[in-house]
Amino acid sequence: MNIPLNIDWQQILLHMLNLVILFAIMYFLLYKPIKAFMEKRADYYKDIDEKAKAKLAESEQLKAEYEQKLVSADEEIAANKAKAMKEASKSRQEMLDGAKAQGDEIIATAKKKASEEHDRILSETQKEITDMIAVATSKIVGGEDVSDSFDTFLKAAGK
Amino acid sequence: MSKKRKCISAVVFGVIIVLLLIGIFAIGAEQRAETIRETMKDAVLHESVKISFLGIKDVNPAVISAYVVTGIIFVFALIVRIFFIPKFKIIPGKFQMLLEEAVGMFDGLAKGNSPHRNSFLGAYIFTAGGYIFIGTLFELLGVQAISVSGHPVSLPAPLADINGAISLGVLSYTVILSGGIVSNGIKGVFMTLKDFSLPISMSFRLFGALLSGALVTELVYYSTALSFVLPVFVAVLFTLLHALIQAYVLTMLTSIFYGEVSEKSPPKPPKEKKKKDRQTKTNDRTFEVVA
Repeated sequence: MNIPLNIDWQQILLHMLNLVILFAIMYFLLYKPIKAFMEKRADYYKDIDEKAKAKLAESEQLKAEYEQKLVSADEEIAANKAKAMKEASKSRQEMLDGAKAQGDEIIATAKKKASEEHDRILSETQKEITDMIAVATSKIVGGEDVSDSFDTFLKAAGK
Repeated sequence: MSKKRKCISAVVFGVIIVLLLIGIFAIGAEQRAETIRETMKDAVLHESVKISFLGIKDVNPAVISAYVVTGIIFVFALIVRIFFIPKFKIIPGKFQMLLEEAVGMFDGLAKGNSPHRNSFLGAYIFTAGGYIFIGTLFELLGVQAISVSGHPVSLPAPLADINGAISLGVLSYTVILSGGIVSNGIKGVFMTLKDFSLPISMSFRLFGALLSGALVTELVYYSTALSFVLPVFVAVLFTLLHALIQAYVLTMLTSIFYGEVSEKSPPKPPKEKKKKDRQTKTNDRTFEVVA
């Protein structure tokens, strides 16, 4: 059969055979190994990426944990501080109360001592006055010169 | 380079050009054996010039071109496979990048146009694209062969022959058909056969595009006066552009049609279930009304 345009089935089949051979060459020698290498590299980077993501997630988790710990530590510190302040305040109050009580006691003791001293001095003075009066009286009654008696009295008083 | 030396070089170069021009125009071209019409007809149909294919059959020069191109690609691929691919690195060099870019480009084209099924398609369009590109550029080498009648023939691009173009078009159509059958069975066959004009359009597009470049180049070469400087632009530019454009067009069309026919159509929802659903809904409404 004579086909126009010089179309020849045998030559078409020869071209096809050539294309099939070429496909096998291109596929097995170039396409497949190069694509395999590219996929291998993509897997390699994917693996690295996944590892990095896992590490990032781990570090995020650690960060969250540490932040939580920091928050709890702050709370603990604040609680301890408040407790210490409270204890210090209590201790100070106790000390103040003690000091006040001690001061009151000292004042009371001092007052008591002063009163006792006062009483003692008063009684001694009364006694001396009584004695002096008695001496003076006896001298007057005994006829002694009054001027001497006054001198004696004044000397005794000056002591 | 000193000024004196530059002057001498320029003078020598000028003299050579002038002598060549004088020689060409003084001697004149030999009387052509064929008219421009015959030359054009021969460039299109390859009826008169035949080359013996391994002593089996006299074929068009493009058949020889096709096998020579395959031979060149085979040697290149073998060298690359043995010496370069085993030394591929994670961070690629320039040559490795070029190879990976070529494979990645066709693979991406296949994946982009046919996301459902693309492993075979990627390999096929890589082959077809490479063949069209290298085959078209092969024309520029001007490899000579001896015709059956004993005249030297410059081997054309394999696809500048209509038989080569038809074979590639039909093969591409067969690949598309296979994609349809594998993905959708009988339905895929009908989907592919729907575009029955595809092999013809693919073949003639290839043939026409490559032939137009060949014809322009042939015309330019036919006239001796136009054989200076102009072929450098015309032949190289036409060939390069056709190599790139046709490789892109055929691979793109093949992958688009392959993607279209290999796309799995969603299963139709069973009708009985719908009926049941309707009944249930009606019952629900009845309950609501009663309530």
